[in-house]
Amino acid sequence: MKEFFEFFRRYCKWVVLLFYVALSCIMLFQSDPYRHHLFLTSASTLSGAIYKVGHNVVSFFSLREVNADLNHRNAVLEAEVLNLREEINRMKLAGFTDTMPTPDSVAHFDFIVANVINNSIHHAQNYVTLDKGAIDGVKPEMGVIDHSGVVGTVSAVGPHFSRVISLLNPNFRLSCKIKNSENFGSLVWDGIDPSEALLEELPRHTVFEAGDTVVTSGFSAVFPPGLPVGVIMPDNREHKENFFTLRVKLFADFSRLSNVQIVVNNFRDELVSVETNNVVNSDPASK
Amino acid sequence: MSKTAITLIILFLILIPAQAVFFNNLVLFNVAVPLVFIYLIITLPITLNDSLSLTIGFLTGLAIDILSDTPGVNALASTILTFVRKPVFHLYVSSDIDLADQRPLPRTMGTAAFLKYAGTMTAIYCAMVFAIEAFQIFNLELFLLRVACSSVFTFVIIYAIACLTSPGREKRL
Repeated sequence: MKEFFEFFRRYCKWVVLLFYVALSCIMLFQSDPYRHHLFLTSASTLSGAIYKVGHNVVSFFSLREVNADLNHRNAVLEAEVLNLREEINRMKLAGFTDTMPTPDSVAHFDFIVANVINNSIHHAQNYVTLDKGAIDGVKPEMGVIDHSGVVGTVSAVGPHFSRVISLLNPNFRLSCKIKNSENFGSLVWDGIDPSEALLEELPRHTVFEAGDTVVTSGFSAVFPPGLPVGVIMPDNREHKENFFTLRVKLFADFSRLSNVQIVVNNFRDELVSVETNNVVNSDPASK
Repeated sequence: MSKTAITLIILFLILIPAQAVFFNNLVLFNVAVPLVFIYLIITLPITLNDSLSLTIGFLTGLAIDILSDTPGVNALASTILTFVRKPVFHLYVSSDIDLADQRPLPRTMGTAAFLKYAGTMTAIYCAMVFAIEAFQIFNLELFLLRVACSSVFTFVIIYAIACLTSPGREKRL
């Protein structure tokens, strides 16, 4: 026992070093951003409070109230556009047949306006911290957009703050399509330029041109279809592979994020339930 | 509580929020990131107990990780930086006898020696942080550019802080 203590005393600093290195590696290799403990993120109460103070000082110089008001109005208008778009689609379908079922409500999406209190663009994995949390109705895996495009999805939610996985994070993949085309691909950041991302896995037969708009496909419960994401950049390479990988100039300016909207899908639970086959089939014909 | 301990606590309380709120947003040309909080580690007294130094280094990195959403990156790099602090110091200063309980600063170790010591430590830290991040996304050109630009930018700010916070007659070792 004495020898053990002697050994420990002699190599104490190595033991301490190994302990801290191991602890750091555990945090480092826990790659799933949805599993980070809330306390260890910028959405924790203490971190949020620090950023809130910093944000209050900075936003004073950037006309915070005016921006928030404009953003709120934008959110209302955006919701209206989505509702009208869906209404038009319903009317189009009704023109073909009068037997189409019509939903009672087309208001699938609501928006929660939030302020960005922390944002990073130069790390390998970037996150955004918002000043709205569970008390305001924010839940994990809700989409986040700003006035120009998609920003990311909520990953950790505290009572007053939430953390968003930015589009500038390789762990985040966004299902997108080229506007007026039905072929979809996956948008992911390659870590080089915070104003650009890659649209991968786009089928080879897709017709596109540089400057075409890339929008969300709507193949998830997170973002509504048709939200602008970016434009295809000119590419002189010859594509020989079966799937295209295109460089996209993002609409959202991540270096100037200020006010954002959190997308609340009112039918999300039902959609997820259907997709995971947990819904009870109530159709009597199937019995 | 000694004057050094109080100074370190004040530095911790100022540098960590400053790094999170101010310096993290002061990125030049999207490549030069000022990692100024390592000033705390660089200026830890050389004669400080090894385990205590490592604990301070780890907690400093962890605090930055929590505020910057970089789980483990700065905690790991700060711990290793604290560990290599003494060998790097002795590259430029042969003996630490005169430095008992004193922090390595231009005033205590001489400007030339401090510049070399702080420059080496900054370069090591920047290389470690960007190497750890390169596990996730690797681009050699971007990696080298970030290490070089961030080291220079951080070093300039650290030297400015050292000169501003510890004026006085220089002592040559």
